[in-house]
Amino acid sequence: KCLFVCSRRSAMSVGFIGAGQLAHALVKGFTAAGVIATHRITASSPDTDLPTVSGLRKMGINLTTSNKETVHKSDVLFLAVKPHIIPFVLDEIGPDIEDRHLIVSCAAGVTISSIEKKLLQYRPTPKVMRCMTNTPVVVREGATVYATGTHAEVEDGKLLEQLMASVGFCTEVEEDLIDAVTGLSGSGPAYAFTALDALADGGVKMGLPRRLAVRLGAQALLGAAKMLLDSEQHPGQLKDNVCSPGGATIHALHVMESGGFRSLLINAVEASCIRTRELQYLADQEKISAAAIKKTTLDKVMQQPGASSAGVASRTGISLFNSNNAPRQKKN
Amino acid sequence: MSVGFIGAGQLAHALVKGFTAAGVIATHKITASSPDTDLPTVSGLRKMGVNFTTSNKETTGKSDVLFLAVKPHIIPFVLDEIGPEIEDRHLIVSCAAGVTISSIEKKLLQYRPGPRVMRCMTNTPVVVREGATVYATGTHAEVEDGKLLEQLMASVGFCTEVEEDLIDAVTGLSGSGPAYAFTALDALADGGVKMGLPRRLAVRLGAQALLGAAKMLLDSEQHPGQLKDNVCSPGGATIHALHFLESGGFRSLLINAVEASCIRTRELQFLADQERISPAAIKKTTLDKVLQQPGGSGLGAGSRSGISLFNKSNSGVKKN
Repeated sequence: KCLFVCSRRSAMSVGFIGAGQLAHALVKGFTAAGVIATHRITASSPDTDLPTVSGLRKMGINLTTSNKETVHKSDVLFLAVKPHIIPFVLDEIGPDIEDRHLIVSCAAGVTISSIEKKLLQYRPTPKVMRCMTNTPVVVREGATVYATGTHAEVEDGKLLEQLMASVGFCTEVEEDLIDAVTGLSGSGPAYAFTALDALADGGVKMGLPRRLAVRLGAQALLGAAKMLLDSEQHPGQLKDNVCSPGGATIHALHVMESGGFRSLLINAVEASCIRTRELQYLADQEKISAAAIKKTTLDKVMQQPGASSAGVASRTGISLFNSNNAPRQKKN
Repeated sequence: MSVGFIGAGQLAHALVKGFTAAGVIATHKITASSPDTDLPTVSGLRKMGVNFTTSNKETTGKSDVLFLAVKPHIIPFVLDEIGPEIEDRHLIVSCAAGVTISSIEKKLLQYRPGPRVMRCMTNTPVVVREGATVYATGTHAEVEDGKLLEQLMASVGFCTEVEEDLIDAVTGLSGSGPAYAFTALDALADGGVKMGLPRRLAVRLGAQALLGAAKMLLDSEQHPGQLKDNVCSPGGATIHALHFLESGGFRSLLINAVEASCIRTRELQFLADQERISPAAIKKTTLDKVLQQPGGSGLGAGSRSGISLFNKSNSGVKKN
C-alpha cells in the first residue's frame, strides 16, 4: 500500500534524531513501502562513523550532524537514540519545537510523562507519542505498538499508525503495556534468530548442508507464523493438525516439552519485560550515573550547538530531568 | 495439465488451497479421491470446486501429475490399485514421509516399464503459500518433470531439489518445523499474557515477531548470530532475555527436536523397507474401506499374522 498519509498537510516531512539501527530500519521500511519520499526524510547524529550512517546516505536521505536542523526540517520527529541520551536531546531541541511537531519516542523504558515534563519547559502543549517497534520493520514485517501523550490528538495517532502500518503490524495500546510488548515483540526477533541458528544446527547434524538448513528452518518458521496470523485457530490446534499419530513430529515435540521449551520462552519474555521496567525505574528516579554515558558520546553531544548545561551530568551523578541544575561542572 | 490427489486429507487440502490461491492451476483441473468422505478436509476441497471422487482410479484417469497424499502405510495398497491405470503421461509424486522412491518404483514396475516417480517432502504452510518443499527425482523421471514439479511447488513457497538421502533430515527440520513454531508461539503468548498483555494481542505480536525475524534472515546474507547481535543493545532487555534461553539449553532442545523427528522418520522408513508391516498398524476400518474399492487387490491385503506387502508372490490370505 503506497499512501501519502497527510490529511492535514499535503507534504509531510519525517526526521530522525539518531542514525543507528532503528532509524536505518525504519527509513528502509518506509521508503520500500513508498509511504514517504527520501528527500522528505532527515536524520542526524553526532557520530558519522556509524555503519548505519552510510546506509542512510545511500538511501538518499538528508544526513546532518545537527539535531536542530533535523527538527526544523521535520513535522514528525522520531527520537531514535538510546534511552539515556533522550534528556540531552530534549534539552537541545526543546527550544526549536513548534506547534506542528509530533514527537515520537522509540526509546525503551522512557515514559511519555518524562518527555512531556522536559518539553513543557519550552512549550505549553508538546505533542508526544511513544512507540515500541522492532527491527523487522526493515523488511516491512515489523510489530509496533504506540501510546498517545496528553496533548497529542486523534489525528496524530492515525498518522503514526499509517506510517508504522506501512512497515508491519501496528496498534495503539495503553502505555502501561509497552514493557510487556518490549519483552515479547521488541526482543522477539532475537529469540527467533537464536532458534533459527539452533534449527540449522539440527539440520546440519542430520546431514543437511548449512545454507539449505538455514533456508528451510527460516521458511518453516515464517510459514507457521503466517498460518497463525491468517487463522482463527488456536496455536495448539494448529500444532495438533501437524502431528500425525506415531509420527515424526510428535516424537520431536516430546523432547522439546521434556526440556521445558515453553517455559524458557515465558522466562525470556518475562526477563526482557522486567529489565525494561528496571531501566525505566532507573531513569524515572531521575538520577543516572554519568559513567553510564560513554565519555566520547557525552563529549560529542556537548560539542553540538545548543547543547544545554542543564542537561549535563557531572561525574558525581546529577538529576538529568531537573531544570534547576547549577551551571556545568568542570569535567576532570 | 491436470493434477490429481490420491488422498483428501490435510496435505491435499493444503496443497490445493495453495495452488488455487497462486492461480497456478484451475480448480476444475484438479481431482481428489478418498474412500472416506467424512474427513473435514473433504468438504473444504469440495467448496474449492475440486472434482471429488471416492475412486482412486478415476483420479488417475483424469490426471497428468498425480500426488500420493496418503499416510505411508496406505501407499502399497494405493499403488496396487492404480498401477494398472498408470500411463506414459503420468508423473507420480509421493509425499509420504519415509517411503522411498525405489519402493514405489519397484511396485509400479510390475505394471509399466518406466514409471516416472518423484518424491517430495513439503509442509503445511503451503496453505498460505509459504511452504518449504524439497524433492528428489526417480530413475525414470526426466529433467522436465523436475522443472514441472518445482514450478508447482514454488508457487506455494520455497522449493528445491535434493538428493533423496537428505529427505529425512528435511522432514525433521522443515517438515516438523511448523509444530515447533506453533509450540513456541503458544509459549510466547503465555509470556506476554503473564506480563499483562491481552491474549489476542500477545498471539498477534508473537507471531508477527517470528515472521518478521524469519523474513529478515531469508532476505539477508548475514549469519543468524549476527542478526541476533544487532538487536542486543548493551545491558538491555534483550540480552537479559537471551541469557535465560541459553541457561535452559534452548538451542539444544531444538537440535534434539530436529534429530528426534529425523530419527523417527528413518525408523518408519526402515519398518516399511523391511517390507513387513503388521496389519494391526492399519486401522481395520481403513483396511476394509480400501479393500472394498473396485480393484482392491488381494495381493495388497495383510493378514493378521503379518505379511509382506511388497511381495507379489502372496497367495490370498483369509482374514480371520
